[in-house]
Amino acid sequence: MAAAGAQAQLKFFSMQKDSIPLFRGFAVSFDMVGAGMLMFSDYGQYEGALRVNLHDEWFPIFEAGIGKATHDDEVTRIYYSTSAPYFKIGVDKNMLKDKHGPNRLYLGLRYGFTSYKVDIARPDFVDPVWKWDTGYGIKDAACNYHWAEIVVGIDAKIFGPLHLGWSVRYKQRLSHSEEGDLDKTWYVPGFGTYDTKLAATFNVIIDI
Amino acid sequence: MNKWMAILAMVLMISCTSIDCPVNNLVRTRYQFTSSAGDSLKLLDTLSVVSTRKDGRDTLIFNKGVNVCKFHLPISYSHPEDVLVFYFDGENLHETDTLWMKKDDIPHFESVDCNASFFHKLTDIRHTHNCLDSVVIVNPSVTNDDAVVHVYIYPKIGD
Repeated sequence: MAAAGAQAQLKFFSMQKDSIPLFRGFAVSFDMVGAGMLMFSDYGQYEGALRVNLHDEWFPIFEAGIGKATHDDEVTRIYYSTSAPYFKIGVDKNMLKDKHGPNRLYLGLRYGFTSYKVDIARPDFVDPVWKWDTGYGIKDAACNYHWAEIVVGIDAKIFGPLHLGWSVRYKQRLSHSEEGDLDKTWYVPGFGTYDTKLAATFNVIIDI
Repeated sequence: MNKWMAILAMVLMISCTSIDCPVNNLVRTRYQFTSSAGDSLKLLDTLSVVSTRKDGRDTLIFNKGVNVCKFHLPISYSHPEDVLVFYFDGENLHETDTLWMKKDDIPHFESVDCNASFFHKLTDIRHTHNCLDSVVIVNPSVTNDDAVVHVYIYPKIGD
């Protein structure tokens, strides 16, 4: 039983033996979902990626972007703002049997990191008991955030070097730190809002 | 293919966000009458606490508590020192004590969906000694955790 498990693991990590060379080139991609979120909502990100193609099976990938949030809440009147770069590294594996076909089904992992600053403010309000005017604000609070992602994605060749692809990502915070007494932040560049677990991307991919 | 579409639809359906504000958003200071032996003490007299508002008028912040052992008082959002006047009323007792409590005020943020609040760090307490023997900060961190006792009050009476 243990031997069968080890053999299955070995098969997962090994490459098909054929005449196709190991290095198959690079691909660059751009995520349209994050850019759309940034255009039509209070937060989002511009994200690009550089992917290495190893034998159409393994795809080491570096992703980088700029995450931004500017939110002015109508109910609580809390203003939140941040903008910072973030970075992710990881690897995808093509799960299709036909590794060298035009389409791919990926299963992958990512490690993400960002260092960012947040501004949180609210217009002055009155202390309900003592009636003093109260200012509320946190300026340039330095924070950092580490997280992991499990990625399931598809990639379809359209024509020439152009591919389009979707991915769904399950995100898990690994560690975080916030300056001073700020317990947590609302939007983390690259990760999303604090309670984010799932996210999706729609990628325009060009083989180079 | 249909199987993959079903899985994707299920994943997207469970990705709803929620508003995650704390159930208790009150930030209050908790006091406990304590004997010199360190036991909690029940105050048999009637206790009221008054403070002074910005406009100079008094505001009642604790009204005629009887058999009080532990009690909560509001804490100002962002004033460096709260001045609290304790009124002790019994059959043969009509005394007041004034308590000056210094603190640092810390803006607390949960989410843009939750109201702004302040946590506090108590830094110093001084008081008059008509009924009060001593007042001690036992837990300087005042948060929305209602169970924590922050200040022990050792009265002269009851010992």
